[in-house]
Formats: sequence, structure tokens, C-alpha cells
Amino acid sequence: MKEELIVSGKHLPDIYPVLHLWHWEISLYLFLGGLAGGILFFAAYFYITGKEKEMPTTVKWATIIAPLALAIGLSSLLYDLHHKLYFWRLFTTVRFTSPMSWGAWTLMIIFPLSLIWIGTYMKEMFPNWNWKFKFLNDFEALAIKYRLSIAWLMMALSIILAVYTGILLSAFNARPLWNTSILGPLFLVSGFSTGLAAIMWLSNDEHERKVLSRIDIFFILTELFLIVHLFMGFMAGTAVKLEAFHLFMGGAFTISFWVFVVLLGLVFPVTLEILELKGFHIPKWVPPLLILFGGLMFRFVMVDAGQITRFLY
Amino acid sequence: MGVVLLVTIFISGRELGISGAVRDSVVATANVISPVAAKESTYYGKFLKNGHHPMDNWLDYEVLGVILGGLLSGILFKRIRKPFVERGPNVSKGRRLTAAVIGGILFGFGTRLGRGCTSGAALSGASTFAFGGVLVMVILFASAFAFAYFFRKLWI
Repeated sequence: MKEELIVSGKHLPDIYPVLHLWHWEISLYLFLGGLAGGILFFAAYFYITGKEKEMPTTVKWATIIAPLALAIGLSSLLYDLHHKLYFWRLFTTVRFTSPMSWGAWTLMIIFPLSLIWIGTYMKEMFPNWNWKFKFLNDFEALAIKYRLSIAWLMMALSIILAVYTGILLSAFNARPLWNTSILGPLFLVSGFSTGLAAIMWLSNDEHERKVLSRIDIFFILTELFLIVHLFMGFMAGTAVKLEAFHLFMGGAFTISFWVFVVLLGLVFPVTLEILELKGFHIPKWVPPLLILFGGLMFRFVMVDAGQITRFLY
Repeated sequence: MGVVLLVTIFISGRELGISGAVRDSVVATANVISPVAAKESTYYGKFLKNGHHPMDNWLDYEVLGVILGGLLSGILFKRIRKPFVERGPNVSKGRRLTAAVIGGILFGFGTRLGRGCTSGAALSGASTFAFGGVLVMVILFASAFAFAYFFRKLWI
């Protein structure tokens, strides 16, 4: 056991010597937030580009996952709160310098927006669907009329949602592993890649899956590129950054990161996707399952490892 | 197969095995469910001494590689099918699976008593001319021949 004597006027056992405040609830939320962001981005993107008929799962069916994922994610965030009844205080202020404020307000808009989006497609997806009330039918007609505007808004907000899951961590200037500006884009591409994986899993259309798979290959390769640069940044950094680097290079998170996140969650599925495009038969659930697993694992590793890294040595 | 085993011993300095990975998984699971009971157990406790993590063993990742490598080879040589139960023509799926589970448990128990399975004890052992390895190999095949008659209905 490594013992350490800390002399401090503060008695904060959850923060000193290492932060251990954030558990599975946060990792799960960051994963589901990115996943929902990815799904909604591609639904809006393919609608705006006029490929609604060509990509039915992306634009319609898969979007059902987004509000469900957000609901589960936000419930886990609420569960994590010590004073659960005070969550509404986030909505009493707008702070442009706080990622948490950005996230809270983005979610406040994108969550109902995703429900409206699904609502406009309910009759197309379930032909026997009946809204029962006249005002709901009127509202549906209005939403369908402004679907393009909704799509643009949803696309912009989904980028903010996915990127904020990373910036939320990188804003912690006292945690060297998180305090890097690469984390925002890294969580964005990872979230979009998991979103694509979920849509690919649901889709039964060969053409649609191929289109999504091509985009996903690009996102996974970008993610690998960003991971390499994340670690190069740590290598070129100060002693505390090197300490964070060593957690992943021989330290406690070496296997969970390189084997489970990078190899199993990125390199292997991208290899399978490339093989699939080359004409090999791949069971369609295998690459998405691995990507989703890798994405979840990535959040767990980053949240757990980040709390151990610190400036205090 | 023999070459693979010899090369493994040459490169890694130890034999190739599979059953050790199952043991590590069982110990790790027991350690998560009940850490106190796992540490107090004579058998599990051995693998949890001095803060050692039971999954800190290359065998576990070798098995992961075997699964992924098998999948990749199946894809490259177009042998991938939908999951199915391999069985004899006169046996039901349930019966075949039950027999497989019972057989698996007995084999797993045997590997712990014999300190290794077909790959770890018999093949790796025999490839280094270890007497124990050769003995395991002979007994493995002899007992398979002896018991095959009683379980033939599962396959023919």
C-alpha cells in the first residue's frame, strides 16, 4: 500500500487525496448523452440533405432511442445528486462560461425537440396511430410544416450536446487528464460513432447500413487520431500530465483502455466494417455491439482515471 | 498446433493455456460478489494475495484474442453462420445443451485437479516432453474412448 501524509486545513475526504465523487452514473450519462447526440445529428442531417426516403431508420426509427437514452441518462444524473430536489436551480441562471449551464439548457431544448421529431413521424411509422385530441393533431401539422427548421435546430444542438459531454470534463483545471481541449472533439466523434452504431444495428436496409458504415469508419479513424494526439499532448506536458500518461502506459488503466477501448471498441470493429465494405459477410450486430461497448468503456475509463490524476504531488 | 505451442513457450517463457483464464474469471467474479469470502477461500484466496488482481494474467487476454481471431478467420474464409447448436440427429437441443453444460463443469473441475486442460497440460506439456503432460494426454484419450460408448446417442 502506498501511504501518503497530507496536511491540510480542509477536511474533504471525497476530494483529498484523490477525487472520488463521480461513479457509474456520470459515465453512463456521458455515454447516453453522446449516443443521443449522434442519433439526432444524423437524423437531422439526412433529413436536411433530402435523404429521408433513402435512410428511413436513421431519420425515423432510430430517433426513438434518443429521448429514451436521455431519460435514462438524466435519471442517473439525478440519482447521483446529493440534493435531488434542487436540480431546478440549474435553470435559474444562464452562464456562458459554464459547460454545465450549456448542457442543462441544451438538454432542456433538445429533449422535447426529439419527442416532437418522433411525433411528426408517428403516423408514418405506425399507420394506425391516433393522437386522440384535436390540439395534438393541429400541433403535429404545425411541426411537420416546420420540420426543416426543427432539423436545423436539432442538428446544431446535437453537436453541442455531444461536445459538451467532453468539455464538461475538460473544464476541470485541477484534473490533468481531463484538462485538455482535445476531450471535447474526442467525445464528439466518439458519441457520433456510437450513435451511428446504434442506427446500423437497427437498420435492415443494406444500402442504408453501407452509407452509415462509411461515415462511421471516418469517425472511428478520427477518434483514433485524436487519441494519439491526446497522449502526445500528455507526453509533451508537465510532470502532472506525464503522471496521467503513465496511468495508461503501464499503469492501472493500461489494459482497460488499450485492450477494451482501443482494440476491442475501435480497431477491431473498424476492421470488420472495412471488410464488410469489401464484400465479406459480417454478422450485422457484431461491429455495433463492439462500438457501443467501447464507447461505454471509454467513458468509464476517462471518468475513473481522471479523478485519480491531480496537481497535488 | 505443436509449432504454435513451442513458439509460445519460446516467446513468452510459459505454456499456452485456456482453463487458467476461466479460473481467473471465476475468481474475479467471486471477488466482486463477495470479496471477504473469496479472500478467505483456500483456493480463490491464492489468487488474491498481496492485492494481486486475478485478471492480471496474459492468459485472459490470450483467450480474448482466440475468440476475436476465430471470428476474424471465420469472416475472412467465409465460414460465418448464424448461431446454431451442433448436435446428433437423434438428440434434442435441450438435451445436447444440458449434456454440454454438465460435461463442461466436469471438465473444468478436472482441469483444476490436473493443473491444466488439453492445451495447457496435455499439448503444451507433451511438447516439452514433460512426463505429466504425456500422462495427461494418454489418460485423456483413453478415458474418452472408454466413455464414448455411453454417450454415443448425443452424436449418432
